[in-house]
Amino acid sequence: MPYLGIDANLAELTGGFPALARYRRAVAKRSTSNRGNGSENAEGYPPELARLPPGRHGLPREFVTHNQRERLIAGLAEAVAEHGYSGTTIAHITSHAAVSRRTFYEHFSSKDECFVAAYDTVMSELRERVEAGFEEAADWPHAVRSGIAAMLAFLAAEPHLARLCMVEALVAGPVVVERYDAAIHSFVPYFQSGREGRPPEVLARLSPTTEEALVGGMVSLISRRIIAGKAEQLEELLPDLVEFTLTPYLGSEEAAKIAREKG
Amino acid sequence: MEKGYRAVTVADIVRHAGIARNTFYENFSSKEDCFLAACDFAANEALSRVVDAGGKPATWPEMIRAGLGALLRYIASEPALARTCIVEALSAGPAAVERYERSIQAFVPFFQRGRKVSRHGDELPETLEETIVGGIFWILYQRIVMGQVEQIEDLLGQLVEFSLTPYIGAESAKRVAAQADTG
Repeated sequence: MPYLGIDANLAELTGGFPALARYRRAVAKRSTSNRGNGSENAEGYPPELARLPPGRHGLPREFVTHNQRERLIAGLAEAVAEHGYSGTTIAHITSHAAVSRRTFYEHFSSKDECFVAAYDTVMSELRERVEAGFEEAADWPHAVRSGIAAMLAFLAAEPHLARLCMVEALVAGPVVVERYDAAIHSFVPYFQSGREGRPPEVLARLSPTTEEALVGGMVSLISRRIIAGKAEQLEELLPDLVEFTLTPYLGSEEAAKIAREKG
Repeated sequence: MEKGYRAVTVADIVRHAGIARNTFYENFSSKEDCFLAACDFAANEALSRVVDAGGKPATWPEMIRAGLGALLRYIASEPALARTCIVEALSAGPAAVERYERSIQAFVPFFQRGRKVSRHGDELPETLEETIVGGIFWILYQRIVMGQVEQIEDLLGQLVEFSLTPYIGAESAKRVAAQADTG
């Protein structure tokens, strides 16, 4: 991408971070009133996503701090995509983020800590999208469908982040593994809510581990695709995953019907 | 694996094994090499037990039940090895993760046979077996992490039901699973 001189897709990457989006809007306003329209605008990139110029750039200190932090997080995702977690060094991260080593240590004490921050940011974004997808639907089966669709769309659009949170997280040490387990588990209640209003004979045949197995199966299939370098095609899994997860609640015919609906 | 893969040293391994450091390096080039060998051993052992048990029953649902039963029995009998290969493998680096994926993939064909007995075998999602196997191993992973490996055989009924439902419907799956609880 032109604005960083590296192939990091930062605009897309950071577009998903609500905090950054807020800063971006605030600063875009400021800079248009201060400096008029920069050439970066012509290319469609807000000026504040360009490399921060040294010295007096007129950006609020708070923005710069957050911007650097977000940039380090994005830099880590790029570096991990290239070198894997264990092969990533702090030099890789700072070079992708285009900040100094000193700046890195102002924000994070170690690579692990930076990874945890990146992981948390990505997961909270993912969770937000799934929740929004889940809530927009009229009934539970369609809520499951649109929640899964939102998850697949996010991961497919952000293959580096997908790899970071579904694959590299597992090799990034006990702190992250614990968070990973908890994050996966946080999807269980979406399925559990499908028990509400089901006839007694359906409830009787669901077992206590049904939801865990559904979530685990789904996550493992998604991870396998990411490991195989097929993150961008993840959305193709939608019908299969919808059918798989709805079958215990609705039976296979009804589940297949909803899975194959268009749109 | 008292301390997890990352923290374990070759010194820990030779002390537990009661062998000399030299002997270790005559057999393995590194901690990772030794780790992968342990996982390969366990995966082969598990698979052969599943094949043995699954060969006896007459019908496919019973074969799945017997195979899963053998898998759970093996895990319960080797808690440390199970922890190594099901939990630690996932955090032991790319080679171990790949090996893990390949090992659990070996269970897919057992389930694929269910398409022949299913009324809608042709319409089942292509990824179904991968997802079922992934779900089973996720549950096993969770139980081992929670320190419940001794009670892992209690899961048999639930796992049988989970994996049979897409093929033969929830009612029949429940029936086969109920037999699993009694014997």
